[in-house]
Amino acid sequence: MNEESGTTGGTDMDESPVLDPQGAAAVLQQARDRARRELAVRRPVLFLIWAVVVFVGYGAMWLSVRGQHPYRGPAWEALLLAFLLFVAAAGASANVVDRAASGVGGRSELQRGIFALALLAGFAALEIEKQALATAGASRPVTALFGQAIPLLVAGLVLLASCATASRLDWPRLAIGGWLLAVAAGGAWAGVVASLAVYALAGGVGIALMAAIEPQLRRS
Amino acid sequence: MINEELDPVIHVPARLRIVVTLAALPPGDDLSFTRLQDVIGLTPGNLITHLRKLDDAGYVTTEKNGSGVSARTAVALTNTGRAALDRYTTVLRQLLDSATPG
Repeated sequence: MNEESGTTGGTDMDESPVLDPQGAAAVLQQARDRARRELAVRRPVLFLIWAVVVFVGYGAMWLSVRGQHPYRGPAWEALLLAFLLFVAAAGASANVVDRAASGVGGRSELQRGIFALALLAGFAALEIEKQALATAGASRPVTALFGQAIPLLVAGLVLLASCATASRLDWPRLAIGGWLLAVAAGGAWAGVVASLAVYALAGGVGIALMAAIEPQLRRS
Repeated sequence: MINEELDPVIHVPARLRIVVTLAALPPGDDLSFTRLQDVIGLTPGNLITHLRKLDDAGYVTTEKNGSGVSARTAVALTNTGRAALDRYTTVLRQLLDSATPG
């Protein structure tokens, strides 16, 4: 078959009338690899970014409250560090996602918007709930115990819920969402001070571990 | 003959790359013309020519949104195109298996 037929003005430089099966397989594989490289969000990078935020942010807060009697809460320097890390990580994450998602429209674009909105709404709702607890008479350690679990609770729930809209079973997302929820709920039982250490270690190391095994899990 | 068994619309390097690239997106997603051109590495003229052939076969859809500098041409793989690529890879695998000695 002459592939040149029907093309316009001789501009079609890439028509190959003869492409043997080996050549076709090579083109197919190269195109798949390239598409994956260009269009897939590099999730191990995202996981690493957030592992650092969780480990350093919670770790710094834990260092500033350990040994407090009575409990007064994290030092402002630790809170500022956690906040700055969060802002920097959010910016870096947006950059990583934009790099892959540039030019991609349709359902995924809508899902990304809803995902970001769900995170913001979750944070806002639970922060308001924390203030309500304080207003209702909850002590500072109780509201702190609840407040410091909010980031892990919200992220875990939104990650788990977002699996429902994925086109196929997303094991890494399912696993990390479930893990963050388990760490948030289980860590709270360690108390207001020790829970920060649990969140830093179990949360941070768990996310970092996911960064390492994500490619294998995704393929399974 | 081998070439008769493989879908002639896809069995061209440029179009094979286009279809595979679009198939990497989840169903329901599309890719802008400029990003597709960037990923595939074709000139706009070449890409238009190949997209027209794929469109004629019902394998892709192209839709222009907006106007002026905000204009965006979205290219998406249809269900027919996705099925055609699946068939193509199946036939290709069979051909490669049958060509393997032993």
